Amino acid sequence: MLRVNIIKNLNNFKIDVAFEMGKETVVLLGPSGAGKSTILNCIAGLVKPDIGSISWYDQALFDSDKGINLPVRARKVGYVFQAYALFPHMSVSKNICYGVNEKDVIGNPKALVMEIMEKFHISGLANKYPHQLSGGERQRVALARSLVIRPKLLLLDEPFSALDTETKAMLYHEFLQLKNEWNIPIILITHNEEEARLLGDRLISIKQGQLQE
Amino acid sequence: MLQPIYLSLRVATIATILSLVIGTSFAYLLAHKRLKGITLIETLLTLPLVLPPTVIGYGLLILFGRNTIFGRFLYNNLGIQVVFTTTGAIIAATVVALPLMYQSIKAAFANIDPIYERAAATLGAGRIKIFFTITLPLAWTGILSGTVLAFARALGEFGATLMIAGNIPGRTQTIPLAIYFAVETGNKALANKLVALMTTFSFIVIFVLNLWLKKKHYISLMREENVES
Amino acid sequence: MPLFELKYNDYMEANMKGNVFKILLVIFVVATTLVGCNTKGVAEENQVLTIFAAASLTDALNEIKGLYEGKNNTILQFNFAASGTLQKQIEEGAPADVFISAGVKQMDELQAKELIVRGTRQDLLKNSIVLIGAEKFKEKIHSLEDLQSEDIKYVAIGTPETVPAGQYTKESLEYYKLWELLGNKFVFTKDVRQVLTYVESGNAEVGFIYQSDALVSKNTVVILEIPEVAHKAIVYPAAVVKGKAEEESRKFLAYLNGKEARIVFEKYGYVVNK
Repeated sequence: MLRVNIIKNLNNFKIDVAFEMGKETVVLLGPSGAGKSTILNCIAGLVKPDIGSISWYDQALFDSDKGINLPVRARKVGYVFQAYALFPHMSVSKNICYGVNEKDVIGNPKALVMEIMEKFHISGLANKYPHQLSGGERQRVALARSLVIRPKLLLLDEPFSALDTETKAMLYHEFLQLKNEWNIPIILITHNEEEARLLGDRLISIKQGQLQE
Repeated sequence: MLQPIYLSLRVATIATILSLVIGTSFAYLLAHKRLKGITLIETLLTLPLVLPPTVIGYGLLILFGRNTIFGRFLYNNLGIQVVFTTTGAIIAATVVALPLMYQSIKAAFANIDPIYERAAATLGAGRIKIFFTITLPLAWTGILSGTVLAFARALGEFGATLMIAGNIPGRTQTIPLAIYFAVETGNKALANKLVALMTTFSFIVIFVLNLWLKKKHYISLMREENVES
Repeated sequence: MPLFELKYNDYMEANMKGNVFKILLVIFVVATTLVGCNTKGVAEENQVLTIFAAASLTDALNEIKGLYEGKNNTILQFNFAASGTLQKQIEEGAPADVFISAGVKQMDELQAKELIVRGTRQDLLKNSIVLIGAEKFKEKIHSLEDLQSEDIKYVAIGTPETVPAGQYTKESLEYYKLWELLGNKFVFTKDVRQVLTYVESGNAEVGFIYQSDALVSKNTVVILEIPEVAHKAIVYPAAVVKGKAEEESRKFLAYLNGKEARIVFEKYGYVVNK
């Protein structure tokens, strides 16, 4: 159970949201500049809210009253950024391998990477570099990279916006399969209503930092 | 003729390494921490770029002179003498090379899209891992250019070196000093040889660097495609 | 420019740009005329005499400049530098009218190249070499041999090949057979001022400079004066350089030999010859 209850002052408006979610896919829908990315960043720990709390079951990720602010690297939150942010100087397999900590892994890290690449149908791309990949391939690599570390939840910031219609359709399909297989809380940001209805279990509208139910 | 060459290479190399370490440290600190005296430190780091070398030399003399508090402290406690020694030549070369190194590294760090460091953090990387696996590799070309600039500046340092280190063959007479005094004493043959040597060397270094940098263009390819909302 | 073809706005803009250009042009013309007028006017009234002189004579000659200009319709323009540098500049055609050197070699070479007017060369001034240092060394050093003491770590002198004072010092130390013995202690400088800097700041315990420079120095004292016998006479040759202002130059040189100039020179530690 992820509980989010935060307030953050931005330049033009104030973000004031509160919601809970379980192992479902929640879609944050809203126009650009509504503060959706900031909310994700707060959950990931990249941005610090002014007041409030974020907790995962009984573990507090952030609590302004108690002065708790778990650093990003300790939160184990998978994050697929808007332009995927694949490390340009590393090959696909190195990218995916990046978060894999040898101590945490049972068995061979390399095998783990191979396994997840098969799952995402990108086995042949192991030695390629990000600039050599298509948009769809990059998204899959970004997903693989975030999921290989077995995160407790997955955040996605407009992951489909840069893709053409055909690729989108294919990847929507893959995303729905992913949902079933991984069974973790997923928060997805989009400004596309159709996409939201297709992919999400629940829809949360955000406008000017405020929830619209 | 070999003495100034060997000395120059040694002084310039050490000066470049020193400015690399100091420059990287400051560039990293000033980019990642909100220090209070940022502007002041940055100004100090950039100052030698605009001061005439003779002024820098004189300043170093005031700071490290044998009769000054700091100079005497260094000598009595650490056995280091700056004036009239190779150490002085190295310090002079470092002081003038550091601004160039710092500016290059600072620009290189600033050019890195912060999203990569953030992504690395979400994947569990701590600050040190991020620095060595993300920041440094992505800033590599900038650091390399900075290193070459700094080395060239250190190699060519004259005014400040002359002041603080003097013109002592074998100990502080670097190539620029040797050239100057060769010209002054009418030894055109020696001057020509040294000038030809320095020019050829610098040319080769810069040429090779430019060839190498051309290979690293894929980073700029990636950057064009990263669009933030 | 066919203005009637432009639209109204373009016309206004072009006109304004044209106006700005015209104003700038007028300012430029006026400025050059004024400048031109000034120099012409000055040239008609006052002659400009260019004097290349050894850097060591800076203070003395600047004082003489005030006296001379007050009495004559001549503006003195000085170029102070190391004698070797000045010699090279004259060889390369620099517009000097008078050359006062701190060394004989430089004047000899110009004379050999026939760049000076025959019959105008004279040994204008004399100087001597002194050893300077902080007050406390006066007790410790009574002769040049004492420089071998461990208390003296560095001896600053001008590079003999390029600084005349350094050449005389080397000659003297060789005369006393000390040049080789003191070898490790020497710090060779670019000019006499640098010797002063090192000794005044204590970075070199002692240094060799001209008597005339020692008078100017602040917190150092003259420890020893080197006897004339140890080196060739230190003279400052002066001569008229071949050029367009021969008569004015001769006049100036004659003044330098006069009583007024002598008082100034002696004030600064030089001895006027003859």
